[in-house]
Amino acid sequence: MNRRAFLKATGVALGAAALSGIPVRAQGLEGEDQANLEKALKEALGKGFKDLTPSNLVKLTMPAIAESGANVPAEVEVNLPSAQVKAIHLFADKNPTPRLASFMPMKALPYYATRVRLAETSAIRAVVETADGKLLLASASTRVTVGGCG
Amino acid sequence: MAIRVIVRLTPAKPKAGEEFRLQAVAQHPNEPGTRRDERGNLIPAKYINLVEVYFEGEKVAEARPGPSTSANPLYGFKFKADKPGTFTVKLKDTDGDTGEATVKLELA
Repeated sequence: MNRRAFLKATGVALGAAALSGIPVRAQGLEGEDQANLEKALKEALGKGFKDLTPSNLVKLTMPAIAESGANVPAEVEVNLPSAQVKAIHLFADKNPTPRLASFMPMKALPYYATRVRLAETSAIRAVVETADGKLLLASASTRVTVGGCG
Repeated sequence: MAIRVIVRLTPAKPKAGEEFRLQAVAQHPNEPGTRRDERGNLIPAKYINLVEVYFEGEKVAEARPGPSTSANPLYGFKFKADKPGTFTVKLKDTDGDTGEATVKLELA
């Protein structure tokens, strides 16, 4: 493939990824690792992946592509009143320690932003514990060029 | 050693009832314990695992970041402006080092 064709093809692919990439379904994400995630969920919440309900009330914003895994911005926002949100947890399937952070909004609005390390291309999960004991899930996926944990 | 922390509000002077963001940035290596130095030895883990936000002495939010937080981390929170006062952000890492910074909330 010559250079021009290559650039054109990758440009189109990247553009399509950027346009379609943000609200991804839970299935068929790049960099999934159910076994690793399951272990972390058990540890943090005492629940498994099947107990989570995908919900569009939870908005997880991750970049589609991160050049360096050492510094990836992550943002979660929950479209529920603060009183109904007990905790927000972030997980990355492929990290050696999948749990990225937990956040307890007491008087704050259910919003949390941070910067995380990703070991490699991974699916990211935002799990929201509600006051009535439900677990809501939002997933995203970030492609990592250089890992941040090794 | 104390951790250096900077806290700021956006917008700096929110109107009453308006939502605003509180962002804290700390100067910290946040070693996850999985990285190796140039001689191949593991760098021991040392990361911030507790972030607490106080408003006028009352705890209003708490985050427990894990080892996979980036170096010089940022923590962002959102609040609704109600009354003026002082926010204090307190950090603690796995070695027990602490950091603290305050920011005044003034209403426009």
